[in-house]
Amino acid sequence: MLTFTVRRLLQLPLVLFAVSLIIVGMMQFLPPSARAAAFVKSEQQLAHIDEIIKQYHLDAPFYVQYWTWVQNALHGNFGFSRVAKKPVLEAFAEKLPVSAELAFYAFLPMLIVSIWLGTLAAIYRDKLIDQIVRVLAVLFWSIPTFVLGIALVAVVYGYLRLFGIGRLPSDLIIELAQASAVGKFHYYTGFLTLDGLLNGRLDVTWAALKHLVLPALTLILVQGAQLVRVMRSSMLDELGKDYVRTARAKGLPDRVVYYKHARRNALIPIITLAGLMFAFMINGVVITETIFNLPGLGQWAALAAVQLDQPAILGFALLTAVIVTTANIVVDLLYALVDPRIRYE
Amino acid sequence: MKKGLLAGILISALGLALATPKDTFVHMTFGEVDTLDPAQAYDTASNYIIENVYETLYTYKKDSLTEYEPLLATSYEIKDGGKTYVFHLRKGVKFHSGNAMTCKDAEYSFERVLVTNPGDSWGWFLAESLVGYDVNAKAAAEEKLGKNPDPKKLKAFLDDYWKKIDASVECDGLYTLTFHLAKPDPTFFAKLLYAGAAIVDSKWAIAHGEWSGTKKDWEAWIGKDLRQGYLHNHMSGTGPYKLVKWDGKDVVAEAFDGYWGKKPKIKKVLVQVVNEEPTRIEALKRGDADRIAVTSRAVLESQVRNIPGVKVWENKNWAPAAAGAVFFNQAPAAKDNPYLGSGKLDGQGVPPDFFKDEHVRKAFAYAIDQDAIIDELYLGKGVKLTMALPPSFLGYDPKLPIYSYDPDKMEAHFKKAFGGKLWNTGFEITILYNEGNRVRQTIAEMFKANIEEINPKFKVKVQGVQWPDFIRAVSKRQLPVFILGWGADYADPDNFIYTFYHSRGYYGNKIGIKDQEMDRLIEEARTITDAKKRAELYHQVGKRAYETAPLVPYPLPSPFIVTRNNVTGVYYNPMLSGTFLWKDIEKK
Repeated sequence: MLTFTVRRLLQLPLVLFAVSLIIVGMMQFLPPSARAAAFVKSEQQLAHIDEIIKQYHLDAPFYVQYWTWVQNALHGNFGFSRVAKKPVLEAFAEKLPVSAELAFYAFLPMLIVSIWLGTLAAIYRDKLIDQIVRVLAVLFWSIPTFVLGIALVAVVYGYLRLFGIGRLPSDLIIELAQASAVGKFHYYTGFLTLDGLLNGRLDVTWAALKHLVLPALTLILVQGAQLVRVMRSSMLDELGKDYVRTARAKGLPDRVVYYKHARRNALIPIITLAGLMFAFMINGVVITETIFNLPGLGQWAALAAVQLDQPAILGFALLTAVIVTTANIVVDLLYALVDPRIRYE
Repeated sequence: MKKGLLAGILISALGLALATPKDTFVHMTFGEVDTLDPAQAYDTASNYIIENVYETLYTYKKDSLTEYEPLLATSYEIKDGGKTYVFHLRKGVKFHSGNAMTCKDAEYSFERVLVTNPGDSWGWFLAESLVGYDVNAKAAAEEKLGKNPDPKKLKAFLDDYWKKIDASVECDGLYTLTFHLAKPDPTFFAKLLYAGAAIVDSKWAIAHGEWSGTKKDWEAWIGKDLRQGYLHNHMSGTGPYKLVKWDGKDVVAEAFDGYWGKKPKIKKVLVQVVNEEPTRIEALKRGDADRIAVTSRAVLESQVRNIPGVKVWENKNWAPAAAGAVFFNQAPAAKDNPYLGSGKLDGQGVPPDFFKDEHVRKAFAYAIDQDAIIDELYLGKGVKLTMALPPSFLGYDPKLPIYSYDPDKMEAHFKKAFGGKLWNTGFEITILYNEGNRVRQTIAEMFKANIEEINPKFKVKVQGVQWPDFIRAVSKRQLPVFILGWGADYADPDNFIYTFYHSRGYYGNKIGIKDQEMDRLIEEARTITDAKKRAELYHQVGKRAYETAPLVPYPLPSPFIVTRNNVTGVYYNPMLSGTFLWKDIEKK
């Protein structure tokens, strides 16, 4: 298992090299004047495009730009993100926890609920519960995230006056900014729910949790719907197999057949899907982050792409490569846990 | 009693926030601050913070653009026929760091702008007045001496440039600041009111690794991207508010206890970037925001105006300090230009000199339905412009005629164009707009509908592109017709008139205006200080621009401000990025 992991990890640098080369290469298809867009804030500045191109060496040849970037990157300098207004690494340190915190709180409930509902729907196939689960799953799966998100903002936040947008209410944002400026509050992890505890500020943790409810709910409903459907069909597949019939024939109680035998095997496709979903969530969920105003990776990456913020796009792509590769390794290892027939030697 | 307590607990437990505290102002807006360095900032989001934290020598008297009041100076005099400005600085002013403000700080601040002056900063218009170049030393050297100049010549040029910077701003004693201009310049005073022309804390800046203020290290700072320096995300100004935190998005500021002026009522400010408009509106509705940015009048009328507890501030006399125009390019790039079609007068395209013909320009001008723009885009609340100048500016002539949709006149001019040839051959032209810009899109579609209707041989292609592609096409001078605006850098008409109409102005040059009489009028207005005479000259420019139609201004939307109704003291100064200063408002 160790050799397997190491071998897979060794592929990573190669992936990173390829990804960075492709991205820098693609950006070079755009002329320098289009790449200057990241620098133009107002129509006035159109008057100074030639100077801007010169100033930021946007007209340097492809290999020069790539080589400069590689050299800097090897020294830990991934450049300055014009969208984040700070060095790329600093921006990551700040934004990754925002996305990761949301992913963390959305993922586990989503996984538990959807496995439970999917199993239930399969066991009670074509019964009322199955019908309800199926309709709801299709419904939430087909509602675009931005519609569901804005509906939640309008109804739950705006009309019912529950929960919040952003990461914290404004009075806490101001108070924490003041407190951290004089060293009375520390951002140890960037996870506000955790930092609240570490600073002995339960009110911060509580407020941060309340502000996570709506975005987490959005993710749970939209992504979970897909998981439920996969879980249901995978479970149905297993229930139709010979070993289930054998187990029943030898008199095992239904509970044991369903939950100990069939469901365990039905989890394999769920692990694949959920692993990728988790990677995708950590990596930032653009629409959810934008609607609920969470300054995470997704919002940043989307703006960076539109404004052609090259260092940010590159950094983001590399991080994505790392996260997805890692998630795949974890998923492969989990297979072995679930299915004893799978071994990595 | 018990019920109340229970409700209170329930409310706080569920997060039912009531309005923000009385001493706190929460503004939800869109678009991130680019930088907090006054020498670099050239966008409204950045200047909005800077104008509340840093201070300039003089400022606007509330919402007036023509009356000023002293801020960090107490008085000033103009000498040498407009070449020398002497400012007497306020005593007893402290920076947020605790350092005392003297003219050393002022000298440092202005010289810092002149030394660095990166291509994407506002420094060009200060340098134009003080040094005589509108670019930094290295860019000026390249313009003068070419790309790889003789090192000796380069050194001589840079030395000379430094001498000019050094001599242009002088600090005498502790509180007398003198500017020596390259030549008399009636716009100079207005330039000093730009938010970025602020006094920064020189001791503090130098201690944190910014330029030393001497010739020693000045070359390393020429044209430097200031976003990677200390002043990019740290501020020590003299203003009523000091920066607590800026994380690249949200800004937290608090009242500065040591402020020299009147203590502000609002003690804490949070400027939150919420790019999603429906989210901002819900936050306003709930009382989580005291002011929000609303992007269009359509949204205002349909979703905001009727929210209980919300106040919409507007006034029919308000107009933005901006102008926009439809430009007719008399000299678009002739080679490899996809927007000219065949590049010939053959019905399949247009020749590069298409808009050199006055009749073509006028025919296009009569295709723009100004009333429809106001009715459809601004829901009836807009201002038509007679010339490319904000109506509140000196020299604006409201009595001049305006081109508006007139199919008969259009047809008459098209029939006269190219000696009558155009009507028979026809043409095909491409008009670009950037996606999301509804003004540009509407005008482009107006051209298509109104021009194609008049003659089946006339074809107008309308193409929406992304902002980077739009910028590229503009900078390569490819567009035969384009629609662009200009926001005021400083409250002087020259900022618009020269830019739009002079043959060497940014837009004038881009569209190949060659009109000696126009240039003469504009240049004359640049050299005299008598406001009445200048206004008269600008009236003549406006009249000539109507007669020759090198461009046609399009209407501006009437501005409005949206706050909770307990906010008072709100005013509209179009030159302020926030339209009012935090120190002037309070919450009831």
